Amino acid sequence: MKNYVMGVDFGSTTTKTVILDLKGKMVAACVASKGSISAEGVQVSMDGALAEAGISRKEILRAVSTGYGRRMIDIADQSYTEITCHARGAVALFPQARLVIDIGGQDSKVIAVGGDGLVSQFAMNDRCAAGTGKFLEALARAVQVPLEEMGPMALAATEKLTISNMCATFAETEVISLLAEGQSKPSVLGAVHAAIASRTVGLVARVGMREPAVMTGGVAKNKAAVQFIEQALGAKLLLPPDPQIAGALGAALFALDEVTTPGAGVDEEDQADDTMLIARGCATKPCQKPKEVPLVGPMR
Amino acid sequence: MNAIAQPLKKANRLKTSSLNNKMVNDYWTDVFNAKAEGKLVCWYEGVAINPLMQAADIRWVHGEAWSALLAARNNEQEAQTAAEHRGYMKELCSYARTHIGCGVLAQNRGVEASGSSFSDALGAGKLGERIPAPDMFISAYPYCSTGQQWDEMLFRLFGKKVPIFNISVPWVWGNKPDAIYLGGTEFNEAKQYMVKQLRACTKFIEEQTGKKYNWDSLGEIMSYTKTAGRLRMEAMELCNAKPAPASFFDWTTSLAPVNFIPGGPGIVEYFEKTKAEIVQRIADNEGGIPQEKYRLFWDGIMNWNKIGWLANKFANYDANMVAGRYTHMGFWHEHESIDLNDPLEGMAVNYLVCPINLSAPLMIEQIIKLCKHYEIDGMVLHAARTCRAFSNPQYLIADAVQKRLGLPVAMIEGDMVDESFYKDELVNSRIEAMLESIEARKRVGIAA
Repeated sequence: MKNYVMGVDFGSTTTKTVILDLKGKMVAACVASKGSISAEGVQVSMDGALAEAGISRKEILRAVSTGYGRRMIDIADQSYTEITCHARGAVALFPQARLVIDIGGQDSKVIAVGGDGLVSQFAMNDRCAAGTGKFLEALARAVQVPLEEMGPMALAATEKLTISNMCATFAETEVISLLAEGQSKPSVLGAVHAAIASRTVGLVARVGMREPAVMTGGVAKNKAAVQFIEQALGAKLLLPPDPQIAGALGAALFALDEVTTPGAGVDEEDQADDTMLIARGCATKPCQKPKEVPLVGPMR
Repeated sequence: MNAIAQPLKKANRLKTSSLNNKMVNDYWTDVFNAKAEGKLVCWYEGVAINPLMQAADIRWVHGEAWSALLAARNNEQEAQTAAEHRGYMKELCSYARTHIGCGVLAQNRGVEASGSSFSDALGAGKLGERIPAPDMFISAYPYCSTGQQWDEMLFRLFGKKVPIFNISVPWVWGNKPDAIYLGGTEFNEAKQYMVKQLRACTKFIEEQTGKKYNWDSLGEIMSYTKTAGRLRMEAMELCNAKPAPASFFDWTTSLAPVNFIPGGPGIVEYFEKTKAEIVQRIADNEGGIPQEKYRLFWDGIMNWNKIGWLANKFANYDANMVAGRYTHMGFWHEHESIDLNDPLEGMAVNYLVCPINLSAPLMIEQIIKLCKHYEIDGMVLHAARTCRAFSNPQYLIADAVQKRLGLPVAMIEGDMVDESFYKDELVNSRIEAMLESIEARKRVGIAA
């Protein structure tokens, strides 16, 4: 029996997979990081999600892909851009959302969502990685701080410093210069996060600030990034339990649409109910059991 | 993993476009031979002032046209590298960089071309080297400050010896109480200021040729230009048919006859044939792409390296790029303003309202009209990395069409003639997201 749908977000640095049952309950989610556009990462992510759901690939009725590598996934019946999927995922989690700020590994985007839940405008970063996860990775290396520690350290900044938000390479040079001047690592990292926030504000300005705003993508797991962006925008951000899987969730919801539309052979009682299970992303660790959280509104 | 198989669709380009290629080749061949035939050569950029030169039997090299030709034929690299070696950085207007590079190559001429990979209808050799050196410059660049500096750089490059004449094209602010498109005190003053300068330019030309300016010839040239401009606009306006029989990319390849090809029966005949092909296609229900599902508007300058590529890309998305600011808001589009008995005023009007010289409110009104006429579903804004003159108002344009027409937009980055600024995957994501947005709106019954 094929009783599940899958969404795969094949991003530039990680692959995220979400599996829903035909009632719209999330039964598994898995995040795998195996390097840039990695076929191995896709396999690990999909296998991890399937294992977590306790099902085989044959039980997937429909799959939708998104992300940079969306056209490279042979299991996918359809693909959508990450803009459409992140908006869909974010609105499913927070139906009141009118703005989605997604900062991923390679790009950042701001998506305005109308009251109908549809994308009304979007803006993406230009080709420089400044203001993205790659920017943070590069500067964590420059400061010689593990990536996961840079956020907490930035929150301890005592000096207000400035670095360029225009170019990741120039920013790295500036970081090294600041350290050479004797500035503390926390203050330098504070400046790094302020640069990300400044870049994000520029993108938000291109579509117009709206509230409530949701933040998705891997960078949303960095508390300092969230705090600096909130300060720069003067608004609180809504954060999903696992912001990294919003795109994959959106893709899975599109797959669900395809099988729950009239005539697709799915009983009415199989339609989504008002709760769903949100799994924690498993990153490269073994996937954890799904955590039940209420869905704050009907999925569209 | 496998790429999801995508059936490839190609644009159904206008057949008459091939006639354009011959006209362009013939024109440049004539320019290459100019010195051998004892003709003076003028280098210029910006608006189409070539009728002024043609009437005085001067040959002309339009910097952007020449750079675009090099890019469209993948021959731009050598000139761009030559300019970079001279110290002109990559962020400088790529038209200017390419043209200045040609100036450098022209200065170096005498060194035997070797190892050239170039060979086409224009002949073998390094294409960038082949334009004749200038005997004069006429600078007439609207809005873009680089344009004037570009002429100054060329002036210096050729030893500050080549005479130069500057026409200052005032920007149309449109902020006076009586300002309207093509009218109002400010516009009329700007027009008269332009006429005065164009008249002075003919004196400059007389000084260079040593001959009395031939006003009869200018009137005759402008009669062909006016007719060609009218036929082109009529043909484009017919493309509000569904499916649209041609695309913005067809109209970009048809710009040469209304930009730098000599005014004569040839340009009229070209647009008569083009219009006839459009009429026939409408009768046959034949579109500019195999299947028209979306109708789009292109804001911004053309990416000359990618005309065919982009035409096919959008065809493959079932998206017909029906109209654009670059093609529909310039190049003798205000042909009715040309009085053949005294053509300078009509010429001035067309120079003043070229696609970058209007303030945002006036420009946006014209764009909105076009979007309505062509029943557009979405807008692609091509932000040319080295032409901020074209890109400056794009956020205002995007905001206006979103708010007033409910159109989704996609901003993509590229360039006029520097291919390195274009990244296909970044463009794909943005275009596909916009098309998904259009599709979602259609599903729920939200018409643009």
